[in-house]
This record gives sequence, C-alpha cells and structure tokens, in this order.
Amino acid sequence: MKNLLYRIILIVVSIIWMIPILWMIDTAFKPTPHIFTIPPKWISPSYTLEHFYHLIEKWPMGQWFINSTIIAGLSTIISIILAIPAAFSFARLRWRGRDILFIIFLITMLAPWQVNIIPLYFIMNSFKLLNTHISVILPIIAMSISVFLLRQFFVTIPKDIEESAKIDGCSSFQILIKIIIPMSLPAIAALGIYIFIFAWNEYTWSLVALQRTKMFTIPIGLKAIQGAYDIDYGLLMMAAFLATLPVLVVFLILRKRIMEGMSWSGTIR
Amino acid sequence: MFSKRMKEDLVGILYILPFGIIWLIFSAWPTIYGFVISLYDWNPLKGSKFLGFGNYIYLFTHNRFWNSLFRTLEFAGIFIILTLLLALSFAFLLYFFPKSKTRTFSESFLFFPYLLNVSVIALIWKWLLDPDFGLITYYISSILGKAPRFLNSIFWAVPAIALASAWWLSGYRTTIFLTALETVPKELVESAKIDGAGTWIIMWKILFPLIRPQFLFSLVLTTISGFTALGQVMIMTDGGPGNASEVLALYLYRLGFQYFDMGKAAAAGSVLVVIMFVLTLVGMKILGLGGEIE
Repeated sequence: MKNLLYRIILIVVSIIWMIPILWMIDTAFKPTPHIFTIPPKWISPSYTLEHFYHLIEKWPMGQWFINSTIIAGLSTIISIILAIPAAFSFARLRWRGRDILFIIFLITMLAPWQVNIIPLYFIMNSFKLLNTHISVILPIIAMSISVFLLRQFFVTIPKDIEESAKIDGCSSFQILIKIIIPMSLPAIAALGIYIFIFAWNEYTWSLVALQRTKMFTIPIGLKAIQGAYDIDYGLLMMAAFLATLPVLVVFLILRKRIMEGMSWSGTIR
Repeated sequence: MFSKRMKEDLVGILYILPFGIIWLIFSAWPTIYGFVISLYDWNPLKGSKFLGFGNYIYLFTHNRFWNSLFRTLEFAGIFIILTLLLALSFAFLLYFFPKSKTRTFSESFLFFPYLLNVSVIALIWKWLLDPDFGLITYYISSILGKAPRFLNSIFWAVPAIALASAWWLSGYRTTIFLTALETVPKELVESAKIDGAGTWIIMWKILFPLIRPQFLFSLVLTTISGFTALGQVMIMTDGGPGNASEVLALYLYRLGFQYFDMGKAAAAGSVLVVIMFVLTLVGMKILGLGGEIE
C-alpha cells in the first residue's frame, strides 16, 4: 500500500515536471486562434506547420544549429586536448610552484567568466576576433574547471602502476599516453559531455561577442526572434521546439552516458 | 647542464603550458584587466582617464546599483534554496524507490530540462506565466479566483524567474545527489533500519552527511549560476517592470553595451567577483569542508 502511494507520487511529480515541455510542443503545432483560448485546450481540433514555415522563412535556424554545433564541438575537443596534459602535470608530476599554481587555478574557477565580458570584449577586439566563433570558444576552453575535474580523477589512479612502468623505462609522456589516458576514458568522456552542454548553452558572452545574425548560436538566435515578435507564442514555441529537438534525439540515444557523465562531474570531491 | 630538479620543474611546466597560456590570456588576465578598467573612465577612442575608485563610488551612491544588488540577492536566495531543496527531495525520493523502469523514467524526466538552453526555458516559462493566456496563470486563477500577473508584478517577477531557473537546473543536481547516495554502502542504511531509525533520521543523520562534499560542490556552482543569471531575466522580463528584476548581471550588461560606460560596468563585474569569493569562502567555512578540495 505504502509502495503504491510512493509510486504514484513519483509518477505524478515526473509528469508535472514535463508539463512545460509538453505545453511548448503542443503550442508549437496549434493554429494561432487555438493558442489564445480560455480555458487553455490541451488537445486542439487541428494542428498545423504554419509556425514552422513562417519561422524558417524569416530566420536562419539551420545556420544557427551549425554554428552552435561548431562552437560546442570544437570547445569540447580542444578543451580535452589541453586539459589532459595540464591535469596530468598537477596530479602526477612533482615540480616547484605546482601547488601554488593549482590554488590560483582554483581561485579563477570561482570567478565566473560571464562577469569578464567587458575585459574580454577589449581583449578579443585587440586580437580582431570579435564576431568570430573562435572568440566564443577561447574563454570556454580557458576555464580551469576542465583541468580541475580531470585532475581529481587522475589523482585516484593508483601510484603502483606508474612506478612499475617507470622501472620498465617509460617516460612521463608514455605513462600519460599508455596508462593514464586509457584508464581515464570514462572521465574524459564525462568532461566532454560537461563542456559540450556548457558551450551549447552559453549565452552571456555570445550575446556580446556575436553581432551578425548569421554568426548567432541558438540561444542568441532565440533571443533575437523573441525581440522581434513578443507575443507570437506559436512561432516562439516552434523555435524553442526546434532548438530542443536535436537535444531530445541525442538524449534518447545517449541517455545513460549523458546522465552518468553529468553525475560524475559533480561526484568528485 | 640542468640539475635533475630543474629538469623535473621544466617537464611539469611544459605539460601545463598549452592550457596555461590560453588560461592566462582568456581567464586570469580578464579578471585582472577588468579590475584595471574599473579604475578608469574608459574610452578607447578619446583616451581613458584614471579615476581611482570613482566608478565604485558612483555605483555605491546610486540606487540603481543597490537595487540590482538587492534583486540579485533575492533571485539567488530563492533560486539556490529552491534548486537544492527540490534536488535533495527528488534524490531521496528516487533513492528509496527500488530500481525499476519507473525510476529510470522519472530520473530522465527530472534531468531533461537541464539540457534545454536558457532561451528555451525562458520562452517556455514566459508563455506559461502569460498574464492573459498562460497555463499556470489559468490554473492558479481557477483555484484561487485570481492569479497575480507574475512577470508584470514588482513583487512576483523575481520569484517567478527563480522558479523557472530552479525547474531548469534542479534535475542536474538531483542526478549528482542520487549518484552520491548510491555510493553509500547499503549495509549502513540496513543496520540503521534494524536499530529502528526512521526514514527521516536515515536521510538527515546518515545519508546527508555522507554526500556533503557533493552538496558543497553543488552549492558553489548553483551560487555562481544564481549570481550571474542573465539570459532568463533578459527574455522573461528584461529587468522589468521598471527595474524590479534588474539583476546585477543585467545592470552590468546595460552599463557596458547600452550606455557604453565600460569603466562602471567593469566595476560592477569586480564587485560580483568579490561577492563570489566571499560567499564561497564563508560557505566552505560554515560547512566545514575547506579541506575537501584536496
């Protein structure tokens, strides 16, 4: 009896949690007159693609997708390539100044880079990088959290394996490539997922750095659409739905991996 | 010839270098440079004038800054408490539920909103809270007779945005807490049950202390997102009505890119950074977890 009640609570909570998303999808396909009704109707007498055509006629949603994918994809790859050796050095090598530098790294982790938009604007301007995708990627790959997350995993790998490799004459680079990286693939994948989602959702700095409509990422694009039609909820929900669709598809395929990856990033101490 | 020690130092630094250079230019330097800019009446075209703490004095003597600081605290407070409370409740709810299809589905449903981008969640919630045709507005007014005009209300604008943000992010925290709970040895819970401990005691006296490191990490990250929230505010209310939801990040953005007063904007940024440091240090002290990072 108690178990049944428990099950019902869980199911009800989950469904309530999904209502905003279901309502978005419902609105996206309703003809405008059926969107603005009191009481709101969950099932519309007819559904339509008018918002979809209206949207893609006016806005380069496809281009924004490509832009977002490029930015998130490159951020992820470069971030991993840069973070691995740095995390390895902090976790496994001994050198003077290491601990102090690591503490400085941790401090910059706490200063959210969204508040750096003013100085970043001038720095990017002097490199002539404003309005390029590189200007969005660079601050993301410079986040010390990527090194921190990997380092926390690297320190948990037992020292003995490394010692015996050293006796066999392995250099530190060989240890990294042949031992540490293969043993850390789940952690590296998790970091990749973390960075990808972070970059995919980045808003504040992109808003400043990207000014031409063609260069926009999805979040900035949606803001532009919203600015143009404040009350056309059919169109806005269609845009939101299209922005969600690929995420939904990827999530349905990689659900387990993504959730494991995301939980790992918060489980480290 | 290098001594062995120097060679080791060199190797260590060499591995850091690729990341270190990027970090130095695009992470560490902006924070310092931001502080430098904040000391000037910054104008790259006409030449900048050194002001000392003039920009800070301007901010501290203007209501609009204090208003934005207060709104930020209000937003962050509601958002952090809601997010972590929801996440903890969900995590415990799932933890005590036997592993099954139902549980996997619930976990996925609760997590999914996290994958939506900030503009999507802001648009959805703006529509849900629409004063005339919003779903939530309708249901509340049919229960209570009359619903507040959430996003057009001086009182409700900030809590409404905080609620939307908590809906967005608490699923991710849930997953983190749940994973942490799963690593707690089952025997610990079982033996407590045999000793007659109730669910409440097990949750707070046994499980919660064991997931405190994850709780702290989540608290820090949630605090950062609470204090830097911008997208959802811009889209849902654009700071309104009046300045009732103009949080510090939005005020900073406006100072810099609408009024082009970069010095004052940088000063606002530096204030935000200092607040983050103080809060994090205090948080670590209170929770007694200062040593956990190592």
